[in-house]
Amino acid sequence: MIFTPRILLTVSLIVFVSVLLQLSFFSQLPLLGSVANVVPVVVVTMGLLGGALPGAVSGFFAGLLLDSALGTTLGVTSLALMAGGYLAGRWREGYDVVSSLVPPLLTGLLTGVSAAIYAAMQLMLGVDAPVSLLVLREIAAQALFGALLAIPLFPLVRRLLRPALVQDGRVVRRRVGRGGILGAAG
Amino acid sequence: MYRRQVRRRRAVLVLLVVACLVLISTHFSEGESGPLHSAQNGIGSVLSPLEDGANQALKPFRDLVNWFDETFAARGENEDLRAEVQDLRLQLTEAEEELAAGLERGKIAKIADADPLAAYTVVDASVSARSASTWNQIMRIDKGSSDGVAVDDAVVDGDGLVGRVSAVDGGSARVTLLSDQESSVTAKVLEGGPLGVVGPVVGDPKDLLLGLIQGDDEVKPGAGVITAGIDDPSLPSRYPAGIPIGEARESQVGEQELRQQVHITPYADLTNLDSVAVLTGGPS
Repeated sequence: MIFTPRILLTVSLIVFVSVLLQLSFFSQLPLLGSVANVVPVVVVTMGLLGGALPGAVSGFFAGLLLDSALGTTLGVTSLALMAGGYLAGRWREGYDVVSSLVPPLLTGLLTGVSAAIYAAMQLMLGVDAPVSLLVLREIAAQALFGALLAIPLFPLVRRLLRPALVQDGRVVRRRVGRGGILGAAG
Repeated sequence: MYRRQVRRRRAVLVLLVVACLVLISTHFSEGESGPLHSAQNGIGSVLSPLEDGANQALKPFRDLVNWFDETFAARGENEDLRAEVQDLRLQLTEAEEELAAGLERGKIAKIADADPLAAYTVVDASVSARSASTWNQIMRIDKGSSDGVAVDDAVVDGDGLVGRVSAVDGGSARVTLLSDQESSVTAKVLEGGPLGVVGPVVGDPKDLLLGLIQGDDEVKPGAGVITAGIDDPSLPSRYPAGIPIGEARESQVGEQELRQQVHITPYADLTNLDSVAVLTGGPS
């Protein structure tokens, strides 16, 4: 990803809007005993489009915003989201997105990983109450919702960030189409 | 070039992880008035109007989804509710007969004076934001100290107790729900049942646990549980007495527990809260 001030602003806005949507909309819609979480989906998408560093950094700041908005322990959500964003970025740096199924499946998997890391952090920090096995159902539900949300969100975020993407197929095709590979058509 | 990129990436990642760990440890070690908590509350206050705006703008979409959900759920509940209404009518008739008999005998003097919630002012509020995680059952409401809301005020909805105000600023307040891992409420079982403490079962907002039960009285399934509201000045309860919490579902004695524990189904639907009421003020 090529970072310009405009792209940085766009990325910040995307992360901010996703946090706002999560707090005011998705968190208040109970489905299958859980709620859909759009923030890890956006963070993983950042990782898949921009690489490990943008994924981790956007996860860190998204987590800070979420924890600040609700007064929960600062740093815990950041750590869980950073892991999701970083792993998505590492995957992107090693492999190409060869199928349209890859982003939703990978996003679902990494959303589940983020939720599992968050649960592990909570257990490590100490919980003064009995814990139900239903937390496992929540992790599974969040992974499922993550995969479903990625279907519309991944193309949307890619479209918004297209000017900054280094290896975007459509950009490459357009450049080739206009000037030919060697510029012969021009 | 590539190695330099990898080194830079690792350095930034280590820096972010260290920052997270520092934030976590500082957040735990400092008090509620510490700089990190103050900064956090400040950011929360700044975000609050935006959350309100987004909440209002997105409410029609949320209502639409809830409408579908409730329509499907209502079909299944219809039969159960009819049976419950019949049962409650019978109970009401019996209670009215007992009340009339009690009044005649002069046992019950002033019913109104016995209402422990009469001294409180009710502030209606809308839920503007909510945590996505089952581990932190926290929400933010659109009423704050300028509306008379204060820390530790009880929060209820039409069905029963929801939680308490855990932080407040001018225009909004943070509410810790009954299902949050840090929640605990002194409660008593109706009809002369024992006192105990109601806490959450993390991961299941539809299940609460009544523990630390005083006495050996067995709590039967179906018994109502309300807030105890202890008046002892040295250890006052955060909650007024007499707010319905839930209904006992099953009683169990764990292998390593000396006392029984009772699973309670909360009356309020803690997973789907749109508007609530804050009980402010109280007896001076």
